[in-house]
Amino acid sequence: MKRRRMFTVLLALMLALAAVLSACGGKSDNGGTNAANSNTAGRSENGGGSNAGSGSEGSGGGDAPKPVTLKVLWWGGQTRHDNTLKIIELYQQQNPHVTIEPEFTGFDGYWEKLSAMVAGNNTPDVLQMNFGEYLTQYAKNDVLADLNPFVESGIIDTSKLDAGIMESGVVDGKLLGIPLGMNALTVIYDPELIKQAGAQEPALGWTWDDFKAIARTVHQNLGIYGSPTLEANNILEYYARQNDQKFFSDDGTGVGFDDQIFIDYFNMQVELIKEGVMPSLDVMQQHSALEDQLIVHGKAPFDVRWSNQVVALAKAANRPLKLTVLPGPNTEKGLFLKPAMFFSVAKDSKNAEEAAKFINFFVNSLEVEEIQKGERGVPINAEIREAISKQLDEVQKNMFDYIDLAAANSSPIDTNYPVGSAEVLNLLGTDIEDRILFAEMSPEDGAAKFREQTADILARKR
Amino acid sequence: MATRKAGGYRNLTGYAFISPFLIGFFGLTVIPVAMTLYLSFTDYNMLRPPEWIGLEHYERMFTKDEKFWHSLRVTFFYTFTAVPLRLIVALAIAMLVAKIVRGAGFYRTVLYLPSIIGGSVAVAVMWRQLFGLEGAINTILKWLGLSGVSWLGDPKYAIWTLILLYGWQFGSSMLIFLAGLKNIPNDYYEAASVDGAGSVTMFFRITLPLLTPVILFNVVIQLINGFLAFTPAYVIFGDGRPLGATLMYVLYLFQNAFTFFDMGYASGMAWVLLVIVGLLTALIFKSSEYWVHYESKGDR
Repeated sequence: MKRRRMFTVLLALMLALAAVLSACGGKSDNGGTNAANSNTAGRSENGGGSNAGSGSEGSGGGDAPKPVTLKVLWWGGQTRHDNTLKIIELYQQQNPHVTIEPEFTGFDGYWEKLSAMVAGNNTPDVLQMNFGEYLTQYAKNDVLADLNPFVESGIIDTSKLDAGIMESGVVDGKLLGIPLGMNALTVIYDPELIKQAGAQEPALGWTWDDFKAIARTVHQNLGIYGSPTLEANNILEYYARQNDQKFFSDDGTGVGFDDQIFIDYFNMQVELIKEGVMPSLDVMQQHSALEDQLIVHGKAPFDVRWSNQVVALAKAANRPLKLTVLPGPNTEKGLFLKPAMFFSVAKDSKNAEEAAKFINFFVNSLEVEEIQKGERGVPINAEIREAISKQLDEVQKNMFDYIDLAAANSSPIDTNYPVGSAEVLNLLGTDIEDRILFAEMSPEDGAAKFREQTADILARKR
Repeated sequence: MATRKAGGYRNLTGYAFISPFLIGFFGLTVIPVAMTLYLSFTDYNMLRPPEWIGLEHYERMFTKDEKFWHSLRVTFFYTFTAVPLRLIVALAIAMLVAKIVRGAGFYRTVLYLPSIIGGSVAVAVMWRQLFGLEGAINTILKWLGLSGVSWLGDPKYAIWTLILLYGWQFGSSMLIFLAGLKNIPNDYYEAASVDGAGSVTMFFRITLPLLTPVILFNVVIQLINGFLAFTPAYVIFGDGRPLGATLMYVLYLFQNAFTFFDMGYASGMAWVLLVIVGLLTALIFKSSEYWVHYESKGDR
């Protein structure tokens, strides 16, 4: 009797166990492999040294490397997803012992996804990281691995990488990200529309007054918009720098520019919206996707954004677009080269060395760039930049040429982004900017409010 | 002694058999919920261990955070328009479907479809297309000679697209109403029509009173759903734009957690929401004495 009851209990427990196991069956597989891997990677004996310097050949070395699974996470549009999957396939062919689990999403949603993964102790081995508020945040919280040891051991070969831009991945002496490309803010314009309107094409040395004049002419003569509204999250910083100021104060406690700068910046747009030269914000919000911008539909001759987005934009527009610097005065003070994005390695990655090899492959292989052709920004490897520029189509060549132009007309990037800047930029980009452009708030009130709330946020997050 | 032991085993067997539920209930509900209560008193950004700060989050929420109050207003407005809309539509359709004899199963299935794909991202994406500047809705308006409206871009209209979406997904409420309608004996209607009652009178005197228990159930469930609305607002508008018109409470909670790295604050918001929903539910149950009609109790 007693025994029988014991048996029933056991049976029930087994059923329960089976249910629980089958519920997470998909995962338990992975867990197994990862656990096995951790042994291998912890001891870095699997031919890492022999690969040094030219990791792109992958396998090499004496003893056969043990199988490794790397999780790689990035954000991007469809073009980038397609490219990156091809690159990963190529890497796996060259390194049969490596299995890469790709995960990708659009930029919206990426940071939610990443922070949830970090919280769940499930940080991807290789992850795309962004300069500025995000790098600061992840650096301060000690999520990313210092890549200096891999540079010293030669697993990541930095000899041909642009030293200036490499600096942008350094926080407190630790190399937390390898830039995958260079970027700069640019004005994209449709030369055909501007010609039709009878205006002058913009060129180096133009000013905001010229910008307004062209926009007005196009609006009056063609009956389309002269320009979309500008995104304060990107352009306001340029505007402040033009005027010898910074977005954040050096001590990281607040706004780094005068109210008057903020007011001038927004007054220009408020004025243009009133005239109908710029669309009202509700129209802008219907064109939020990159492939859906006004310039793509031929509804405006201008667009202002990061240079690496030009490829996708031009592809969607399907007609020649040109690039030039942002309007002056003092373009060279305002403009800066920015790392388009980094690849970083998780600090708790069990395969950090393999992750580093993958990154080395990414930045030092011509084959990679032959696939993505500057979609992640202009390569930071000078040799590759040189070699690839011969294979580019016109749009891509324009982008590369633009980076050369921008490099010659810019100043170093400001790296003083405090923790909490993500919340500050959210405040500016989705709240204060909208209220001003919807004419619910004057630029003067907006400036005061932005200053006050920024100080609050930064004080709270210190 | 022996019997007590046997009894212990018997209970153990019982617990063992319900252990899949118990593990899920404690592991995925009770413990995490209790954790959030603790976290709401801490400064926690997920990347570092939590740090105790007492009531600071609640203080900021109630005294300083305009967005908190704003999102609460948006959510109350949304819930108290979208839920009645959904229930009225569900009841109306259920009454129509109840009348259909041939192909009733087909209609029921088709009308239920929007709910199956309900909270999904695909529907939200479709909604975006429908209400876009050059979307189907505006195209139809233009055919009718009306000018199009910037549904998604104008703060006045944006929330209504979400309310309509919620109303459109009436399937589950409809099915429950349908079941309730089938339970009303036909004799009542026959007797009423003999007495000369019209269909409007029958609806208000027979159908509605006898449906009140079902209505109560639907109101409570839908109210909770309404307060928890997140996916459509997130997929269609993303960040509460335009002008915070679609900044639903849970969306703002989510932003705090995953965009601003403030998990402690987000946990606090979750508890405030729990209390609000709990109070409202209690209120509805309390009020049900006055308007819900149970046949067994006889007429009031």
